Amino acid sequence: MPVAQIDAPSFGALVRVVLDGDYQVYGMIHDIHIDDDGLVRQLVTAEGVEEAIIADNRVNRNVPLEMSVLAVGYKLDGKVSHLLPPRPPLSLDVIYLCTSDEVREFTSSGRFGYFRHLLRATDLPVGELLAAHIQQAGAMHAETGNVEWKNAATQELITLLRDDYAMLMSVLGALGDMG
Amino acid sequence: MSLDFLQVSQQVQQLGEKAVQHQLDLKDKLTQTSELLAERSQDIEKLGQKVLEVAHNYDPTLRCAIPIQEALNDHFPLPDLPEQVTLIAADGSQIFADRHAEVDYCLVNTGAIWMRYGLPDAPKTSIQSQLIFAEEMEGMSDDRLSLQRDMAERVRLLELARQVQAPLITLTDGPLEIWTTTLEEGRVAGEFKKNLEKYLDILHSLRELNATPAGYVDKPGADLMVRLLEVASAKDEDLAQMRTYRPFKGVTDSVLYEYILQPGERSAVFGIQSRSSKPYQNELALHFFYLNVGRPGNPYLARVEIPRWVVDAPTLMDNLHAVLVSQCEMIGARRYPYLLHRAHETAVVSIEDKEQVTQMIVRELHKRGLEVAGQSAKQYNKDVSGTRTRYGT
Repeated sequence: MPVAQIDAPSFGALVRVVLDGDYQVYGMIHDIHIDDDGLVRQLVTAEGVEEAIIADNRVNRNVPLEMSVLAVGYKLDGKVSHLLPPRPPLSLDVIYLCTSDEVREFTSSGRFGYFRHLLRATDLPVGELLAAHIQQAGAMHAETGNVEWKNAATQELITLLRDDYAMLMSVLGALGDMG
Repeated sequence: MSLDFLQVSQQVQQLGEKAVQHQLDLKDKLTQTSELLAERSQDIEKLGQKVLEVAHNYDPTLRCAIPIQEALNDHFPLPDLPEQVTLIAADGSQIFADRHAEVDYCLVNTGAIWMRYGLPDAPKTSIQSQLIFAEEMEGMSDDRLSLQRDMAERVRLLELARQVQAPLITLTDGPLEIWTTTLEEGRVAGEFKKNLEKYLDILHSLRELNATPAGYVDKPGADLMVRLLEVASAKDEDLAQMRTYRPFKGVTDSVLYEYILQPGERSAVFGIQSRSSKPYQNELALHFFYLNVGRPGNPYLARVEIPRWVVDAPTLMDNLHAVLVSQCEMIGARRYPYLLHRAHETAVVSIEDKEQVTQMIVRELHKRGLEVAGQSAKQYNKDVSGTRTRYGT
């Protein structure tokens, strides 16, 4: 996709894949990266790349932009679950960015069960990921007057991480940095 | 592994031995041609006359350079870039007819990209895809399709040239003239003639727009100048065997001019003596120059083909010269005009694209209750064994 389009999905955003009418899988974006291709590598050897050429590469060229998504739950027959999905998405299934309503529905269902999946993923920047998610989802809840969601999410994290002081400090530190 | 590497390695060794001898021969010939070039550099009129005489009396197939007004070893420094100029590049790609495929069709894809120098805006791009099927497939060959592809590029260039702001340069990859290898065969010859007339009209229209059309030949292997020097060195008694008189065979123009042109410099402009360039007359007459787009200590030559009206307009020549060097510098170490590369990238049809088009056609035919012959057993087995390669451009 042209790089100019990357403003839609962001780190920590909730996405969903519709597998069939009443079954969809939810995931959280934990990595976005753009692999430079041969032409870009070639261009950096030029002395000073002109603005028009930079714009061409950002606007016109298809560059391989890859996002990694961690499964965090699913919805079956209208009911949201924070357990791991029974079946994974298939190749070439389309991923949609969740709307504010969908984010509110997923994150207010149950008691933050999906945090478990994030906290288990020790090879990811868990603190940054949780902080980004809580900030985005908290803002969406606040839009409908639910300012308590953010506090409740933070409290749940403190409970889940009570035996892992280092991780707790990492998550709270990241949340604090985001204000 | 399907090669007998033992056999090949012995032949590679022989190749190496021959290459050393060939290199030594070429070095001698290069010295002679360089000396002759310097010696005859001012004989512009005399050499021009001799070329015409040889072509007329002894070898009508003669293909070589014709000096016109600048000395043979002249070299011209890089001019300043124009403040504003529009550069349009077009390139074509195709899906050739494949009798082993499931369905019979061809496709020509034309990519174009244009930018305005002096503005920071991103270049604009366009793609035109033309499916060729049914009665249009009658007598289709790779050559015919290549000709259609070349024509589509040129038609697109004119369409865009009419829309953009002047002054403007249009760029295609390869020689400026259109070409087909089966020129002599009746049916193709007729079609080629029709296309040639259309192309000459396009060139006339570009002339009316005061555009600068150029054909960019990367890594040129031609010996147009070397052949001119062979004509120059031929004595009267050699003229009858001019076709086989090749004392400097193997030396290419680019090697010859590598020693003359500094980075950014262009050579003198020459006309082209050849049978295929004859239809390009007067202001459309084909000319060329060599351009060193390399860096100090690392020369890299391109041949640039232009029509006569550009040669006669110093500003158009300077703008083209400056823009081409600037384009090559944009892309970094491996010098080639940025916009031409992007035109290619825009046009290129991948093997996946081809598969998709094939499947679209198959689905359409099935939807209408029609039988599809299916791919040949040969193609099926090739696919299964995974020997297919990327689709050519």
